[in-house]
Amino acid sequence: MENLGIYIHIPFCVKKCAYCDFYSMCDLSLREDYANALISQITSFRAEAKNKIVDTIYIGGGTPSILSGDQILRILKAVRKIFKVSGDAEITLEANPGTLDPEKLVAYHEAGINRLSIGLQSADDKELSVLERIHTREEFEHSFLLARLEGFQNINVDIMYALPGQTEKTLSDTLDYVIGLDPDHISFYGLNIEPETPFGENEEIKRLLPSEDVQVEMYLNSAEKMEAAGFFQYEISNFAKPGFECRHNMRYWKLEEYLGFGPAAHSFFDGTRFSYAKKLKQFILLPCQRSNLIETQEKATVADSALEFVMLGFRLRAGIDVVEYGERFGDDFEARYGAKMQPFIEKEYIMKTKNGYRLSRRGLMVSNYILSEILDFSQDSE
Amino acid sequence: MNRQDKIRNFSIIAHIDHGKSTLADRLLEATQSVSTREMEEQLLDNMDIERERGITIKARAVKVKYEAKDGNIYDLNLIDTPGHVDFNYEVSRSLRACEGALLVVDATQGIEAQTLANTYLALENDLEILPVINKIDLPSADINGVRTEIEEVIGIPAEDCPAVSAKTGLNIGDVLEKIVTDIPAPEGDEDAPLKALIFDSYYDSYRGVVVYVRVLDGDVHAGEKIRMMNTGAEFEVVEVGYMSAFGLVPADKIAAGEVGYITASIKSVADTRVGDTVTDAENPTKEPFPGFKEALPMVYAGIYPADGAKYPDLRDALEKLQLNDAALTFEPETSIALGFGFRCGFLGLLHMEIIAERLEREFNLDLVTTAPSVIYKVTYKNGDVKYIDNPANYPDPDEIAKAEEPIVRGNIITPTDYMGGIMELCKERRGIFLDMKYLDKTRVELHYILPLNEIVYDFFDALKSRSKGYASLDYELDGYKESKLVKLEILLNLELVDALSFIVHADKAYARGRKIAEALKDNIPRQLFEVPIQAAIGGRVIARETVKAMRKDVLAKCYGGDITRKKKLLEKQKEGKKKMRKLGSVEVPPETFMAVLKLDEEQPKNFCTKGMLLSWKTSVFISTFRSV
Repeated sequence: MENLGIYIHIPFCVKKCAYCDFYSMCDLSLREDYANALISQITSFRAEAKNKIVDTIYIGGGTPSILSGDQILRILKAVRKIFKVSGDAEITLEANPGTLDPEKLVAYHEAGINRLSIGLQSADDKELSVLERIHTREEFEHSFLLARLEGFQNINVDIMYALPGQTEKTLSDTLDYVIGLDPDHISFYGLNIEPETPFGENEEIKRLLPSEDVQVEMYLNSAEKMEAAGFFQYEISNFAKPGFECRHNMRYWKLEEYLGFGPAAHSFFDGTRFSYAKKLKQFILLPCQRSNLIETQEKATVADSALEFVMLGFRLRAGIDVVEYGERFGDDFEARYGAKMQPFIEKEYIMKTKNGYRLSRRGLMVSNYILSEILDFSQDSE
Repeated sequence: MNRQDKIRNFSIIAHIDHGKSTLADRLLEATQSVSTREMEEQLLDNMDIERERGITIKARAVKVKYEAKDGNIYDLNLIDTPGHVDFNYEVSRSLRACEGALLVVDATQGIEAQTLANTYLALENDLEILPVINKIDLPSADINGVRTEIEEVIGIPAEDCPAVSAKTGLNIGDVLEKIVTDIPAPEGDEDAPLKALIFDSYYDSYRGVVVYVRVLDGDVHAGEKIRMMNTGAEFEVVEVGYMSAFGLVPADKIAAGEVGYITASIKSVADTRVGDTVTDAENPTKEPFPGFKEALPMVYAGIYPADGAKYPDLRDALEKLQLNDAALTFEPETSIALGFGFRCGFLGLLHMEIIAERLEREFNLDLVTTAPSVIYKVTYKNGDVKYIDNPANYPDPDEIAKAEEPIVRGNIITPTDYMGGIMELCKERRGIFLDMKYLDKTRVELHYILPLNEIVYDFFDALKSRSKGYASLDYELDGYKESKLVKLEILLNLELVDALSFIVHADKAYARGRKIAEALKDNIPRQLFEVPIQAAIGGRVIARETVKAMRKDVLAKCYGGDITRKKKLLEKQKEGKKKMRKLGSVEVPPETFMAVLKLDEEQPKNFCTKGMLLSWKTSVFISTFRSV
């Protein structure tokens, strides 16, 4: 039996946030049809389910909490019917404050959801309104406390930095506030201005962004603050109390298998990466015609995977284990990367660990630069 | 009528964009009815591969037949001329092969700098000048105004000159009749020893160099032993013939008064210099045709492969281009900053841009080109005199007794509205005003002596931007002049970058140093460390800028397991990095070396307007005469 993760995409939002380029839409009338289509697609994976044991499920979006407790229950039932799901599986649902109520939370909990990821982004109402979020800090607090009350013992809160108009002070206040609520996990992402979003076309917004130096200070100071509060940084953007690291996301970084369901979902299964097109209607009509839905499909060679392992491994605090690298890919990490890493090691962007290498926090901040310097894309053609 | 009485040899001269190529096309079209039938018969007998692929043949001259109103059939030889100041000497040789020239003037623009420059060249060569007013179909055409201008400014009669639209074909017949009636027939001595003027040549991989000549005296035929009188090279003629609109047409001989080609298994265009005289090796003519000059480079620049491993490819590419371009010179050069490359000599900036572009496009090379430099003449304290084409080799000030720089005579024609700004520009560029002449109420011609290195340094851009594109410049070299010159050196991260050094007049060194430091700051991407940029003269820093260290370059979002997107992003970033040059520890994009040239004016542009570049290319690389 091999472990497997499952990702389920819910492409609906009450309202699209101004910075978001993820796939979602606001026509909520299709929810029921969509849930049924998901169930059909999941059911068509009986063959793939053989010899697999699912130990993480992640329902992301969009806004998954836009679905009713019953819809979530039926989707998870379908997963359980087709796949063997381990008893201690981590089952996450992304939730947006303002879409949660006590009945829904009870139903989610009873459906088997044991981890909630709540998008706060900022505890400053002015910043929330610039982001065009649908909730206030008070509404978030209400949802969070309600979730605790209904028995959720593993809750993540999303926070963003580098927001338009954000200062080190407002960010620090947001962190103090969140830490005060005592969640189990904090995701801490920098805002990235994507070209095809309202922010991407808004020069005024771009002008309000903190300077690069301030952004770096925000990241470094926040990381220290969270660690001081007991949230250990285990990945470039993720902090958790011991034992609360997100097991599903770790699959991505460790190059383990996952199957995605729904339009725009990505999968890495049986050595192949594939993704579905962003076509909701087509998916609802013919959810089982995989060849029509698949947009990209690529068999990963050993060299591809070795490169991805390095690219993703450097996101982790634990970094890259050179012995594991050697065993998995039959390649000598030191021979391939040693010389290229040297200048970065000297300047302490890359740190030596007991079993290999990791990026320092300063290194994480410039990880695109470092990776584009050291990664050996020609390795593919060897 | 004797044979030569039915020949007319002519060129078309014009300012850029006044319609030279279009007029040439129309003339060929108009004469096609007579010539097509005959030429096709000739071509059918000679249908080898290269004739089939007529595109490989560079038509710089073409013979057509025209039935005139007097009932005779004339051979018209149209000889093309490159229309840019860089190629003045080539133009003069092409004109020498003719008895007359059509001077095309745009009815909406009137006379421009190159119109005048080319007219003077034509007059120097004793050509009959036939003005042709073009673009009369345009609403703003002022035919009478332009007629008056031609008479007053150039001083040739224009009251009955053809007014045409090359675009629509209107009145093209008038031009053909005028060619027959007004341009004199050649008067070569048919019985004298062979004397032929080379006005162009190109390398063909099948037959070697194809030499375009105008036969002045005697005749030339296959099997004849010929000598190039100035280079002394001797060859046995393989084939002679004419240039038709469809390709080369072999003939038994070409004789006095005619324009044609010679092939003789010649390996390099260096043996067939434009302007040289071809004669019979056994029965040579007494004197070569006068005025032969070897085309000498005026501007030098370092050309380096972006990828050091491509050095041999770059050498091969330069050798191939040189086969067809005797004016291009190159020598291996080493730069600490850029590695192995070549110091290349060009006739001018346009020539340089064309070569660089051909290297990149036709040979698929990524290049780093350093800022162009002129040739400085340095007299050392020990009496030695050296010509220095690379700023990196410029000696220390205490070794120099006298430094001289090349100067040019520049003619600028501009609407009077922009005269003030242009005179200011010339003053800024150390120009010495000679005189000025009003061409009419709205336009003026300014004469200046200017240092060539000021022209190399974005002068065309500045001129264009200060005259909204209306002013035009023409110049010719006018010797050397003593000057206060200093070497400005650039240090990146405290290391000297030899490839960025250049020579500048002492009075301008501070301002130029500051601007270059600023330009470099804008061009150098942020590195993981702070990069100080310094401009220095003789070790003394005169300007300093800093590229701040990069602290954030991360895209952490990696949504729903979409690894591929992230990977592609990094791969793209890596591709971008590969194009960078590493100068010591600093990564620099290849454009940086040219960017330091383009500082003065707001609009960053090419040295020459695209129009100039395209127009020249159309006339050279693409056969102008593919009219069918």
